[in-house]
Order: sequence, then structure tokens, then C-alpha cells
Amino acid sequence: MSGLLAEVSAFLFHEARLLDARRWHEWLELFTPDGMYWAPLTHDQPDPVNHVSLFYEDALLRDVRARRLEERRAWSQQPVTQAARIVGNIIVLSAQDDVVVVGSTFHMLEWRRQEHRMLGGQYTHTLRRSGEGWRIALKRIDLINREGVQDTLETFL
Amino acid sequence: MDAAQDLAGLVQPDRVHKSVYTDPAIFELEMARIFGRAWVYVGHDSQIPNAGDYHQALIGRESVFMVRAPDGAVHVLFNRCPHKGSKLVAFPDGNAGKFLRCPFHGWSFRCDGGLHSVPARAGYDGTAFDEANPDFSIRRVPRQASYRGFVFASLAADGEDLEMFLGGIRTSIDNFCDRAPQGEVEVAGGVFRVWQHSNWKIFFENLNDTSHPMVTHESSVNAARAEYKSLPAGGPMPFKLHIIEGNGEPYEFWDKLEMVGYDRGHSFMGAIFKPPTDPVSLAHIETLKAAYGEARTQEILQIQRHNSIIYPSCSPHTSFQQLRVIRPIAVDRTLVEIYTFRLKGAPPEVFQRAVVYANVVNSPSSNVMPDDIEVYNRAHEGLQTDGGDWVSLHRDAGRDRAIPGGFTANGLSELPMRNQFRAWAEYMSAGEGR
Ligand code: FES
Ligand SMILES: [Fe+2]
Repeated sequence: MSGLLAEVSAFLFHEARLLDARRWHEWLELFTPDGMYWAPLTHDQPDPVNHVSLFYEDALLRDVRARRLEERRAWSQQPVTQAARIVGNIIVLSAQDDVVVVGSTFHMLEWRRQEHRMLGGQYTHTLRRSGEGWRIALKRIDLINREGVQDTLETFL
Repeated sequence: MDAAQDLAGLVQPDRVHKSVYTDPAIFELEMARIFGRAWVYVGHDSQIPNAGDYHQALIGRESVFMVRAPDGAVHVLFNRCPHKGSKLVAFPDGNAGKFLRCPFHGWSFRCDGGLHSVPARAGYDGTAFDEANPDFSIRRVPRQASYRGFVFASLAADGEDLEMFLGGIRTSIDNFCDRAPQGEVEVAGGVFRVWQHSNWKIFFENLNDTSHPMVTHESSVNAARAEYKSLPAGGPMPFKLHIIEGNGEPYEFWDKLEMVGYDRGHSFMGAIFKPPTDPVSLAHIETLKAAYGEARTQEILQIQRHNSIIYPSCSPHTSFQQLRVIRPIAVDRTLVEIYTFRLKGAPPEVFQRAVVYANVVNSPSSNVMPDDIEVYNRAHEGLQTDGGDWVSLHRDAGRDRAIPGGFTANGLSELPMRNQFRAWAEYMSAGEGR
């Protein structure tokens, strides 16, 4: 495994562990200040501004979501959502100076209220080098069932 | 169950029996007597701009689609081939081409449903097969009509016309469209589809339930407030936080809103009109003034509404250009579709704001809707226990004030729920709809 691939793979695994552990605030810090978190709603969605998305969240909205998930009276988090993510098929799609675009496939198992559900799709991370490590400039999530009828999605994917 | 035999006793002026939400036999009767009779929203004209474009919908249990014919006419047809029954169109939205061609044996139909051709035609010579017999064409939904581009259809051959059915709630559709400088709206920006594991009436009642926001949505209100506090002091609250935080207004705020219920179960809750000062609204108002003049613009903007209810199929939010479409699937399962609309002639930022509103407040992945869906689920589950037989609609009961075509009350009143059940009882007691 090349040095870069190993480096970004370790980053994605670390990110998945933070999310599995609901360590939202550490996860939020993985983003650049202007970083975006985007899950398109359709396969051919042209942009996030003139079309609704499952998620299109800047730092402000990510922060609100993280805060809400920990609210005592978040009724739909009684009990909280438990999840386990597997990230694989990691590939460096492009690498220029200090920006690298990484594609991967994820599989996520969620459990809440006696129900298991399976989510999965592709991640595309645009990572920017910052000091010793990496920061997320854009995390794009393409759920395979994004055009279907949804049950609620509450945590970060 | 005997409840279906005794429907009259299930709905009282200030309470309803739990079985109206939980009894599968009553759900069956609703399919026939409400959805078999009422005008049900199919879709908006703008979703099928070109010949051959179609949009699928459900009227009760019936899978139907509206399709644009080459002459521009819109036809609402059952999604069933007259040959051996195959569904004809597959996607929620699509284009059928010049003719609707069945994927099974290739019969093809005009966009008005009429039979166009069958392969190997000679085999039918001398049989009872007859092109002119409507049995060999796609069946049309008995009645269809549109109001300012909003297409409705009814499975009943007879009944009042669409405008009569809409009654006073027409003003909400009017205001929705009047807010466009060109007086027209169009569907744009995609559609969220979400499951609710609860009875369809629970959602309808919630749409004008002013005593739930501060309780159900405490988590997102608190999160938005904490976030605002963390921002540099003194700035205005960002729109994205404002629309979440608004649910936290105190009871006095909600009680001052206007609540109006019309015949047939329709209603709306008003909003308090504060002249907007944000740049998006100001730019929008300029385009309205250019189109309508100052006086008419003020008239249009004075009408400020939160959710309107067009019972039993949809709910427009006129000031943020949303439309929620409600499809009962089973007694404990409801499909909700959430559409955004563009106001024709308004600045692009107005539409982009509608997109933000849908994402942040109305979507299945928002911070707001999951708590709604959770409490609907809990209500549906709790109603199935033996812990009680009745659902209370007592808030401000007996104090509704009659107006032409309906009633009005203070904002916290449970008038909308009582009003829906008044219509429900009328539909359900009038026998089979068709
Ligand atoms: S079922 Fe449609 S052509 Fe046979
Ligand atoms: Fe709500």
C-alpha cells in the first residue's frame, strides 16, 4: 500500500470509529472551517443549492445536529441509535499538492428500538492537508437507496 | 369488529374513539368512503410539461398516473393495462414517449388512454374484441379537475365539483400562487419521500397542532438556541436556526395565531405578519411590486399562513413554498411526500430558501421531523393498549365561532382536529362512495 493510500485509509477508519462511538464533537473537528457534509437525494442531482438533499450541512448545521443528538428530550433518540460502519474499497481518485480526493464504499448497520437496519453506499472525501494530518473539505455520501422512501436519518452517516 | 357498524358513536364533538386510528376494518371503510369519494391531489401541472410526461400517484389504494397528451391536455388514468393487468408506467415520474406501450404484450395506448394498437391484430378478427369498447382502453379516473395547476381526481363519478369541495381553503392555493410575480408556481428541486409508521390521521391532525411544537421539538429548539449563543453576540439569528428555533415560541405566541377550519375537513393556521427585513424577502417583494403594484402586493403579503390542510390528501405551506402529500398505505403506515415549488418570476434566492427550509425542517433527515415521527409512532402504539378508549379533543371545545363555510378559533384551539372529524363522520356515515 502506498504511503498516501495508507495515510488516507487510516484517516477514514479513524473517522468511522469516532462516528460509531458517537464522539460527535471530535468528528466535527475533522472538518475544515468551510467544510461541507453532503448526501444528495438523487443519482443525477446537479447541485445542492437548487435541489433538496438528504444532508447539506455546513459547520453551523453539523453543530446543531451534534447538539440535538445529545439532548435529553430528543424523543427519537430514546434509546439512541447504535451503529457500526465498515469502510472498504478505498481508492485515491486524485491527488494534487495538498488536496486528495478519496473514494470508498461503506456498509453501516444501525440499531434502534429493536430494529436493525442496513445502510450502504459510496463515500467521496475531499481531504486537505493541514499540518501533520488531514481535514475534510467535503464529505459526500451517496446512499444506494437515496431515491427510495426513507425512514428517518438522524445521526451522521 | 363492531365499531364499523357503529361509526356514529366513534366521533363525538370533543373526543374520538381510539379505533378510528387502529382498526383495520375502519381503514378499509375509509378507503371506500373517504378516498373513494373525495377529491384527492394527484400532482401539479408543472410536473408533466411535455407530451408523454407522466407522474404517478395513489388515490386510496388505486395506482394512477396523470399524463400529458400531445394536444396539451392532462389525463388521469388507472395504471393498469386492459389486456392482462400489467402496470403501464414504472417510475414515479417519467416520459412514456408517443404512446403508452405495455411492457407485457405490447398493446399501446394514446395519452388519453384510448387503445392505439395491438400486435398481430388478425387474431382478434371475428372475436368480441372491439377497439371502440372502453373495456379495451386504459380506464380513466372518473373525475379530474385542476385549480391553478393543482390537479385533483375523484374515484366517484358524481359529487360536488372541485371548487365547491375546496371551499374556503382555495385562498391558500391562491396565496401560494399569488406570491409568484407571474401568478404561477412550479414543482422543482426534487421530492423527499418518508414512511410514517402510524395512522394517516395522526399526521393530518399534527399539521395544525399548535400545542405540540415546544414539547415535541424541545431537542432541536434547544440545539438551535445553544448554537445561536455560541455565535458572536449581537448578530441576527441565521435563517437556518430561526426556522428550527421558531418551534420554541411560548404558548401565548401560538394562541394569538388565527385558526380557521372549513367544511370537508380543510383548515389553516395563520402566522403573525411581521414585515420582513431580510434581503431575500425584500428582493422578492420588489418583483411583486413590479408585477402587481404596491397595494396588491401588500394584500398578498398580509396573508401569512403556516400549514394549510386540504383534507384528506395534502398540505401546502404557502410562505415557504412546500407541499406535503399524504398517502395512507395501511392502518399503521403512511407515505408522505414533500415537494418544493418555485414561484415563477421571483428571484432564484427565494426558491433556494424553500430548498433550505425543506432540508432543515421538513426532511426525514432534518433535526425536526424525526421527533415528530417518533411521537406519531408512540401515539399509534399507545392507542393500541387497553389504557383508555378515547382521544381528547377538548381544548377550547364549544368555543368555535361560525364563519361562512366553517369555523374560527384561537390559535391553541383543537378546532382543526374537531373539524377533520366532522368531515370524517360525514364521509363515513354517507355509505359507499361509489
Ligand atoms: S398485459 Fe398489457 S399487453 Fe398484455
Ligand atoms: Fe412537529
